Amino acid sequence: MIQQIKSWLEDATVDIFIGYRDVDGHAVPHGYTADRLEELGNWTVGTHRYPLETFALHLARIHPEATIGLLGRDCNQRALNVLSVWNQLHADRIRVLSLSCCPSALKTRADCSYLVPRKSGSFKHQVGVDAEMEAAELEALPSGERWARWAYEFQKCIKCYGCRDICPVCFCAECSLESDELVGTGKLPPEVPIFHLVRATHMAGRCVDCGLCEEACPADIPLRLLYRKVNAIVEDLFGYQTGSDTAQPPLSVLGDRVELEPLPMEKTG
Amino acid sequence: MTETQGVNAMECKLVPSICSYCGTGCGVLFEVIDGKLQGTMPMKSHPVNEGKLCIKGWHLHEHINSFMRLKSPLIKNNGRFEKATWDEAIQTTAQRLSSVVERHGPDSVGVLVSAKITNEENYLAQKFARACIGTNNVDHCARL
Ligand code: SF4
Ligand code: SF4
Ligand code: SF4
Ligand code: SF4
Repeated sequence: MIQQIKSWLEDATVDIFIGYRDVDGHAVPHGYTADRLEELGNWTVGTHRYPLETFALHLARIHPEATIGLLGRDCNQRALNVLSVWNQLHADRIRVLSLSCCPSALKTRADCSYLVPRKSGSFKHQVGVDAEMEAAELEALPSGERWARWAYEFQKCIKCYGCRDICPVCFCAECSLESDELVGTGKLPPEVPIFHLVRATHMAGRCVDCGLCEEACPADIPLRLLYRKVNAIVEDLFGYQTGSDTAQPPLSVLGDRVELEPLPMEKTG
Repeated sequence: MTETQGVNAMECKLVPSICSYCGTGCGVLFEVIDGKLQGTMPMKSHPVNEGKLCIKGWHLHEHINSFMRLKSPLIKNNGRFEKATWDEAIQTTAQRLSSVVERHGPDSVGVLVSAKITNEENYLAQKFARACIGTNNVDHCARL
């Protein structure tokens, strides 16, 4: 793998390659370049995952002409597809080197922070929503109980905005979650359930189920499960699998694909 | 190679650090692109926060590039703040502090330390209060 990156940098296939370097045993994201090839001596891969495509996006905004290589787990690649669909990154300016992440008995190793299932405590089992649950399991419960369980989860939110800030597909310059009209800022807990549902609707056709939001949530809210359900609805309605390829999503009706006739505004006294 | 020079000068790295906003000391990674701080990420492998941050930690990078940031000391002269060098600022502070101690006694001074500084700095601050000024008036921001 290091040889491959080295040759990509040497023959200028990529101008920079974003992977990880070892800092005292921690895998820290790092951009390798041709003029500092010796840094590849510190190359490492650990189970911890970061949104490398977000760093690529920030780089591309500053250097639109650069070709960026990056280490791609499955989730990184799905996120890159979504970023390309939403015109945030040009697919032809990105080269991905795949990393073995999903586990299998046929492989000697896999690197992902999701390989060890997380266990919830008994209280959460009684009153909350366990992140390991499937949407169908939850839907089998009476709706009152389901609401109570989600409300328990949502009211724990400390509004750190970590779920949004770590999300590779939350790239908006202005975020609805900071809009006073929509979610009422400056209060804790945030309005239940609107704060979380606003974000959930935005993740329709966008969330790639990488789980970084859930990992970053200090309140242990099963966000991934929520967005998975939203995307299941998108798939049922439109037959669209988010992140699967670079085809247009069903929800991008804005821009040059608008077919609706704009109606004249009605005067309301 | 000259035409790719600009691209080659590209830099993107994450620099490990510790959040300075409270005594928890969460591990963070600063996202640096072309020498400029662009963002903050929680350090996933850090034993204290295990990849999580509060809202203060997530926004650590913002004040660094803020145009409101104070980059040199200011001394108030005749009711107006004026830019000063560090030497001038330290001199002025030392003189005024000694004159207060002389006039009103060491117990008229209190020293407030902080969870945001290191153990060693806290130690030095209390040493300064007790040995240099001569007061036991030392307290901590967490008790305010
Ligand atoms: S939560 Fe919604 S508005 Fe905010 S960054 Fe994400 S997609 Fe954009
Ligand atoms: S799982 Fe979370 S972090 Fe990942 S794409 Fe979906 S919303 Fe964003
Ligand atoms: S990461 Fe969790 S606690 Fe933070 S804003 Fe998102 S849901 Fe709330
Ligand atoms: S991120 Fe928040 S909890 Fe962690 S050290 Fe900073 S201020 Fe304290």
